[in-house]
Amino acid sequence: MSRIMLLIVLLGFAARLGSGAKARAADVPSTETPAAQDLVAAADRIRNPQQPFRLTDTLVEYRDGKPRDRVVLIVFAREEKDSRQYSNLVRYAEPPRDAGKMVLLHGSNMWFYDPASKASVRISPQQRLIGQASDGDVVTANLARDYTAKLVGAESLEDADRKDRRCWHLDLAAADPEAVYSRIEYWLERDTDRPVKGKYYSDSGRLLKIAYFHNYQEQLGTVRPTETIIIDAVDANLVTTMTTSDYRIQEIPDAWFQRDFLPRLKAD
Amino acid sequence: MWLRVGSLVMLAVCALVAARGHAQENNDLERIPKALQSSPPEPTPEQSNAPSPPAPRAHGKYYAEDALTLSAARDGLAVPLPTPAPSDWENRTSLDAADQWSVRRGLTATLSDRFNVTEENGVDVPSQQQIRNDFREGYVTWEPLARTYLEAGRVNLRDGIALGFNPTDFFKTRTLLDQASLDPSVVREDRLGTLMLRGQSIWSGGSASVAFAPKLYAPTPITLGIPYGLGAKFDHTNAANRILGSVNFETAGLSPQVLLYHEGTETLIGMNLSRSIGQRIIAYAEWAGGNQPSLITQSVAYGVRTGTLPADTPLLPPADAAKTDAFRSDLALGASWSSASKVTFNIEYHYHQAGLSRQEERDWFTIGTAQRNLLPVIGELWYIRAFANDQQQPWVQQQLFLRVDWADAMIPHLELAAFAFVDLYDGSSLSQLAANYYLSDAWSLGVYASANVGGARSERGSYPQAASLIIQVLRYF
Repeated sequence: MSRIMLLIVLLGFAARLGSGAKARAADVPSTETPAAQDLVAAADRIRNPQQPFRLTDTLVEYRDGKPRDRVVLIVFAREEKDSRQYSNLVRYAEPPRDAGKMVLLHGSNMWFYDPASKASVRISPQQRLIGQASDGDVVTANLARDYTAKLVGAESLEDADRKDRRCWHLDLAAADPEAVYSRIEYWLERDTDRPVKGKYYSDSGRLLKIAYFHNYQEQLGTVRPTETIIIDAVDANLVTTMTTSDYRIQEIPDAWFQRDFLPRLKAD
Repeated sequence: MWLRVGSLVMLAVCALVAARGHAQENNDLERIPKALQSSPPEPTPEQSNAPSPPAPRAHGKYYAEDALTLSAARDGLAVPLPTPAPSDWENRTSLDAADQWSVRRGLTATLSDRFNVTEENGVDVPSQQQIRNDFREGYVTWEPLARTYLEAGRVNLRDGIALGFNPTDFFKTRTLLDQASLDPSVVREDRLGTLMLRGQSIWSGGSASVAFAPKLYAPTPITLGIPYGLGAKFDHTNAANRILGSVNFETAGLSPQVLLYHEGTETLIGMNLSRSIGQRIIAYAEWAGGNQPSLITQSVAYGVRTGTLPADTPLLPPADAAKTDAFRSDLALGASWSSASKVTFNIEYHYHQAGLSRQEERDWFTIGTAQRNLLPVIGELWYIRAFANDQQQPWVQQQLFLRVDWADAMIPHLELAAFAFVDLYDGSSLSQLAANYYLSDAWSLGVYASANVGGARSERGSYPQAASLIIQVLRYF
């Protein structure tokens, strides 16, 4: 009888462990537990330069493990002082058929411009998400502003290079209607606050994408991830890498963030 | 003894469960391509501070295109064509280039051109009629002050936010060039600019511009096809003095644009605005209005002025003389909806008050069928339709425009699109199904099937071309 009891206790203990991070969160002494929102803000500072800037994103799409498509984007971003929201201008440099196309993302004011047709077309927040590494991934965003974070617990996690990282596991719920995703699970390295992994969910709770942040290098005075590996959770054969380069501090006036400026935006 | 064994079992189970949880969260790592899993070594401080590789130079768009068109003519037209039926096949090979260069600080040059060689039945090979150059744009831009621009040259100035009909796109008239697709969003990609002087200033939250296009030529006749040859066709775009002023500003998330346009004796005002509704919907409206003649009056007057129609040509169908020059409005009212599965749907209602009313459309058929053997009569009736097409105006007062686009449809890199213009008086439609497959970054294949569907005495059912199939191959450089 006592052996049966012991087995029940063991199974119960195992079940608690199996329930994963939530159980282990309780093991973290409260005095050592940082505020979840502060952690997300620290990670934002790692991902995003604090001054207006431009960078180049090179997206390579791997289908069945083989590289197939390459898109090069030049992104101009600036944090709005009042709202702390980032405004972004994205210019396509490659592939040749898309060269010169532009996207403006300024709050709910979003426009697509095609120099061939000279047409400025207003786009919806949903259209930001079209594409594997969509504009929603390419643009700079303040997650601490757009989401309410909750600490799930402390976990050990392998990064994209299969190195063990001691992480904080956070659960982010959209707090702003303009947030790109409805929910994000976010793993930040405990010692450095560097993002290691993110899981991105739709309104319906469907897992859309998994991102691994790696190749950390110093850019504009801070060590930042220069490559993000985006695993498509819907299409099992699709993985995209987003390599960030050519960081530059750039003066970006207010006047840039309107549709009439799109034909005037130069990348040189 | 049992206790020691139990402890060992407990530890083993704990380790197993913990390891399984860890492994499960990292199961997705298996999906990362092998080539990406070998991370470069940790950078040294010197390497960390090394500059990134420079960004690629943003260049223009260069491509070669071949488009083969097969057409099916309609027999037994309600109103016969006064001219020979269009050819039933055509092959067009084009070299297309559009680029911009920085000449010196604050000064840029822009050039956009397409060179075409066509073969079609009834045209000798080789012949001058095979060659056509489309000089679309060529202008310089000077920025004397930050975000203040002065431009001179041939500029394709386009306003408006609707897809199927743009009342505020005042410089659209007589600019059409031929395309593979009939989709209005594609048709705009190859049109002539207008020789003009333009100034624009952009400030925080708004912008203003003024453009003046001088009259350099007398109006020239409307031709059946696009004129061949290497000429710049300024007679199409600069046959009147025209001036356009516009102001953009931000208010209530509507991004309105207000425009004032003057040509000859006509002054038109216009406005367009749009707004995002929720996560998936964009609503938009575009309006222009002013004192202007009806389409029938405009077309007959233009035909007489250019010598295509005799000076004593009556208005057919007869237009109410008292209403020939009244305040008339153009309106495009629409919305788009997009889904998570990359489908975008547009619906637009178009109102063109100068166009033919339901009764005038009926009269067009009544007169045309009753007097089908009188060449001047059917010539004038078809001229009105050719004029409307040349001016990019709807022929009738009310129509509906529907368009759906599906990116990565079923398989990656396949884009499917369909659109329909529906005449709200007779229900006839011009419809097109399109499939574009992006074979690689450089190659693209397109197939377009279109049809004019409707009864014999309907707008689209009376059109001489019943259907067409276009196969297009593009090579980008």
